[in-house]
Amino acid sequence: MPTLAAHPNAQNEPVLLACGLVKQFANRRVVDGVDLRCRAGQVLGLLGANGAGKTTTLRLCYGFLQPDAGTIRVAGVDRHTDPEAAARWVGVCTQDDTFDTDFTVRGNLEQMSRYFRPRPPAVKARVTALLERFGLDRYANAKPDILSGGYRRRLMLARALVHEPRLLFLDEPTTGLDPQARLEVWELIDTLRREGLGIVLTTHYMDEAERLSDELLILREGRVVAAGHSRAVLGNLIGEHMLVLDARDPAVSVVRDWVRQAGLPEPTRVLSSLHLALDGPGLAQFSTRFGDLRFEVRPPTLDDLFLKLAEPS
Amino acid sequence: MIPSYRAAFQWQSRAVLGRHLTVYRRNWHTAALPPLLEPIILLLAFGVGLGGFIPEFAWRGRPVSYLAYLAPGMLAYTAFMTAFFQALFAAYIRMHYQKTWEGQLVTQLRLEHVVWGEVLWAATLGTVYALIVTLVLAGFSVTGWLQLHWASAFLVLPLLFLAALAFATLGLLFTALVPSIDHMNIPFFLVIMPLGFTSSTYFPLEGDSPWTQAWLVLNPLHHLAEGIRLLLLAGEPNHHLVAACGLFLLMILILIPVDERLLRRRVLGEG
Repeated sequence: MPTLAAHPNAQNEPVLLACGLVKQFANRRVVDGVDLRCRAGQVLGLLGANGAGKTTTLRLCYGFLQPDAGTIRVAGVDRHTDPEAAARWVGVCTQDDTFDTDFTVRGNLEQMSRYFRPRPPAVKARVTALLERFGLDRYANAKPDILSGGYRRRLMLARALVHEPRLLFLDEPTTGLDPQARLEVWELIDTLRREGLGIVLTTHYMDEAERLSDELLILREGRVVAAGHSRAVLGNLIGEHMLVLDARDPAVSVVRDWVRQAGLPEPTRVLSSLHLALDGPGLAQFSTRFGDLRFEVRPPTLDDLFLKLAEPS
Repeated sequence: MIPSYRAAFQWQSRAVLGRHLTVYRRNWHTAALPPLLEPIILLLAFGVGLGGFIPEFAWRGRPVSYLAYLAPGMLAYTAFMTAFFQALFAAYIRMHYQKTWEGQLVTQLRLEHVVWGEVLWAATLGTVYALIVTLVLAGFSVTGWLQLHWASAFLVLPLLFLAALAFATLGLLFTALVPSIDHMNIPFFLVIMPLGFTSSTYFPLEGDSPWTQAWLVLNPLHHLAEGIRLLLLAGEPNHHLVAACGLFLLMILILIPVDERLLRRRVLGEG
């Protein structure tokens, strides 16, 4: 009789360890040599523009897709050699709602538990506890299609947790939610992290990535372009300071020439402003050269990074 | 055993089958009405009504009532239609609109389990509906309108299950191929009508042309209908039963890996 005991390697290594992942669709490398590492109690954020390979990377890790190259270990189990055992420790909250509309809210959780072996112990009690914890108990006997967006996400999260996984994948968990519902989901994710779950999430929201992630992995065209704490990633990719100018100022063309001559990265146009990333000496030179110009200096944010990543390479 | 076939016996496929069974059990009272009423209406309309205008109906040189000819054909047609449509229409809804498959594929279930779960469920439902038709036929026998060799009936249900499995794999092939739900009429006109009406289900298909002969040899539904008919009307085990089994096994062997490959491309974007 199989038991719920973790693999012996699970104590010594991260809950997710992926090396050299490659995935190709129709001769295009969507994921190109990505490495991932997520420890228990850590949130790893995958960030990148549309088409950067975030969702595909996630799908490779949770077994929906098979990598063309690379290795994935989940809780000490090699996904390639024992996919069934590896999948036992994984919970997934997909981008779209994939709960079963033929079942009630409670039925969804019970049915989900039947897709795992060994079966989680005391399923009925666990389902009741999850319904209470996610505030779904008053909808327990209703079909999920009556739920609001926030409660649908809660149901997706509860479904992903019914079999007591060690690693949780969240693909854009708050897309389409109102600010209050987003905040509620953030709090739930925070609690799960504190309980020791390893969490890998993708998001388009920079504030979400910054607030939830212990570490960030920045993807661009299927490759990791930066990894680490958000401040360090920003420093490496953007620079120390972000200078914001009025793009309609006639002097902007002179600034552009100066940037080109100094060999600095091209400024980014955002609506009516121009964003220019500079390090300390660069900022000093700019101030000396354009002291009479009106500008604002602020620390770089993940939004700046996102805009930079969205530029064509 | 090749993984595609081994999956049929794994717990994950049974979990998918169990899921469909749970949903069906909740709606059985409404879901069972059409398969119960349809054979009654068809037997009354065609067997008794139309059959009344065909007093000298002969099959294989033997005089039989049209109702007696029609009854075994309806068993074959029910298993065929139910399994094909369940694997086509209902599976397509679950795959495309309800995203049930995607929800299952993030667990310990793999695509081959979802495929087998759908095929096993379609076959189970096809057999259950055929069993309901059998009960209706038993009712007609009690009234004296129909005389069948009921001792041979125990052979029929396993054969119908095998037939339904094979037709489910064919239905799933179109699930993988149809571009959208608006194209569901293509398999209806390409498969259901030509196969259903030229299979000795509603009328005997005879002819000496090599095309007709080839069609009769290769058409599994024809063998199924004729095999069951010989069994139930004459009590004769016959070569049609063997031919039907062979063709159904061949269909399953060929179509399961094909379905899986095409659905892998459609659902996962791989392959």
